[in-house]
Amino acid sequence: MKPVDTRESFTSRMLSSDGAVSVLVVLLGFLVGTILVALVGKNPLNMYKAIFQSLSGYNIDNGKMNVRYIGETLNYAVPFILCGFSMAFAARAGLFNIGGEGQYIMGLTVAQVIGLLGPNVPGLHWALAIIGAMLIGAAWGGIVGILKAKYEVSEVVSTIMLNYVALYLSRIICLQLPGASTYKTANFPETALLSNGFFQAITNNSMLNNGFFLMGLAVVVYWFIMEKTNLGFGLRATGFNREAARCSGIPVVRSIAISMAIAGAFAGLAGGIVALGSFRYGRVLSGMDNYGFNGIAVALVGNNTAIGTMLAGFLFGMLKNAQALMQGKQIPKEITFIIQGLIVVFIALRSAIALYLAWRSKRQLQKEVLAK
Amino acid sequence: MKKLLVFALILIMGATLFAGGAKEAATTDGTPTIRLLTDATGIDDKSFNAAAWRGIVEFYGDTLSNTSKRGRYYDVVTAQTQDMYIPNLKQAADEGYDVIMVTGFTWADALGEVAPLYPDQNFVIVDVDWVGQPNVMEFIYSEEQGSYLVGLAAALQAKAEGIANPKFGFIGGVPGAVITKFEMGYVQGILSVFPNAQIVDYYANDWGKPELAKAQAKNWYDSGVYAIFSAAGGTGNGTIAQAKEYRLQGKNIWAIGVDSDQFEDGIYEGKKSAVLTSMLKKVENSSLYSLNAVKNGTFTGEVVKMTMEDDGVGYSTANTELKADVVKAVDAAKADIISGKIKIYGTYKDALAAGAAPRGLAALDD
Repeated sequence: MKPVDTRESFTSRMLSSDGAVSVLVVLLGFLVGTILVALVGKNPLNMYKAIFQSLSGYNIDNGKMNVRYIGETLNYAVPFILCGFSMAFAARAGLFNIGGEGQYIMGLTVAQVIGLLGPNVPGLHWALAIIGAMLIGAAWGGIVGILKAKYEVSEVVSTIMLNYVALYLSRIICLQLPGASTYKTANFPETALLSNGFFQAITNNSMLNNGFFLMGLAVVVYWFIMEKTNLGFGLRATGFNREAARCSGIPVVRSIAISMAIAGAFAGLAGGIVALGSFRYGRVLSGMDNYGFNGIAVALVGNNTAIGTMLAGFLFGMLKNAQALMQGKQIPKEITFIIQGLIVVFIALRSAIALYLAWRSKRQLQKEVLAK
Repeated sequence: MKKLLVFALILIMGATLFAGGAKEAATTDGTPTIRLLTDATGIDDKSFNAAAWRGIVEFYGDTLSNTSKRGRYYDVVTAQTQDMYIPNLKQAADEGYDVIMVTGFTWADALGEVAPLYPDQNFVIVDVDWVGQPNVMEFIYSEEQGSYLVGLAAALQAKAEGIANPKFGFIGGVPGAVITKFEMGYVQGILSVFPNAQIVDYYANDWGKPELAKAQAKNWYDSGVYAIFSAAGGTGNGTIAQAKEYRLQGKNIWAIGVDSDQFEDGIYEGKKSAVLTSMLKKVENSSLYSLNAVKNGTFTGEVVKMTMEDDGVGYSTANTELKADVVKAVDAAKADIISGKIKIYGTYKDALAAGAAPRGLAALDD
């Protein structure tokens, strides 16, 4: 036996680790983004200054520190992470949930309804609204799951169509709410709001709210269901190979329906948090917020794992906050979308790397056989 | 975990690379600075936000293609989603501009929340008169007056061309009190010429979906509609696109522009434009007014009314195919509006009560 080349084994270890590849891809996205900024004649340093400020709150240009920017970054990340979970949870069971946006909208709508009409009991009020948002999200996703599991209806088509149903249904419902005009409803009572005085105090009055706790809880729940329960095992097995799972006695039909319902609950939670955390009034939506769609990219970058998706969500939240700061430094806002897009494109490299590793181990095997 | 490391790396990189970076020189020459905040459609919407931006650029002696003083005196930040409104306002206040300008009523609540937190910061909002803070200057336009003129112009043009029973269309963005003023003025302008004209209307419920307006416009033009007025932000560009296609094929139909003069957008061949006229809502005058107020030290929290008399609204005569007699008649109507001889109703309720608008339109008053 030859002594193993340690450097090569380090590279192959890196390449076979999904986490490392994700980091590599993100860096690659930033690199190309930087080059693009330079190509359009802007100073890429300004882009990094904006990113630095959205992470640290420190404004390099005037030397002022303002922790509010950290708070905003964290707050923007919450819906990205939860919608990422919505995509990721279904993906682990082999389903492509493009309906995060619709589930998000339904969650937002029900949260607004309960927020305006619910019992004005401190603590209970917003909790009820959030639970309602999760339940309707679960129902909205669950419909698709049942259609898919029982009648083999493509979940891609049905989720896309339900997105539009959700948007217009939301408008119909919200226009009936108290004080509704064409774009907003009356203000929520204080008891419905997710605002958290402590967070506001430590982040200099940012929008960061109790939704952040709920997101943290969701990360734990996601990880626990996926990795530690029979249900999660069944879901993952269904995702790897449906027929094999069926043959080993896993209730595949139930798995698919449940996974879509749980995926929907995550997106519904995101909608509830945005509705009651970032606004004092209910919105009559005129368009989509696109958190649900961005969740697809978040889950891809995070490789459908709990921690990975959370980190990817933070990345997207940071880019969103940095986007406004960049514009103040005359960097076009589109650059953040380009970086996000590039990251998603480069994620495809993952499969290329897997192919490369397979090819290499095959060649090594051939060599060994020939040597004998 | 690896991604955490990357974040840390970026932090360290940032700290070492840029620590102690030079401060941007504050303007000391007395020129006021302004930040424009827009909704997702941005300053490329070719109408409302574009007009506000044009006023700002004009104030500093720049042109739209050469914004050399951008970044020094003025700039713009576009909010991708509505949850960015409050953070973007606070960010602008942090960065110390003399004026922060927002456009559109969707900003009213966010501004009402942020303005009291920064009592020394000047804010400007257009299309809203209910924020009521001492540091917020609010601009209100008499859109119904300008819209009356374009409705009148389209109807007179149809009459001059001898078209029997012409039909007219209106495409709105998100329904609401402001857009209703456009529709009501337009309708009353048409009905003053053809009291029984058939008028159709449609709301896209979106400011940025030209494809919806294009499909609707095609439908209407096919069914014999003579002119369509779109007050729908970026959505309205679909109407103009469809009108261009049809005029190129030789159909005698028209689009009517809104907010800015959209003559240029409608050019389909040489100097021929599919945009007959545009209702001008001179949002640029709000930018100029507020910047001059800061410059002269007269900025206060007040509601500024921009009527036809104040040159806040009007119509465009850029299209030479608009007949001279029509222009003459419309100018006469303009004078009558200023003198109060022509009364125009701005809400659907009032217009209905006065019998000045047909029943069954989709306009909403709140």
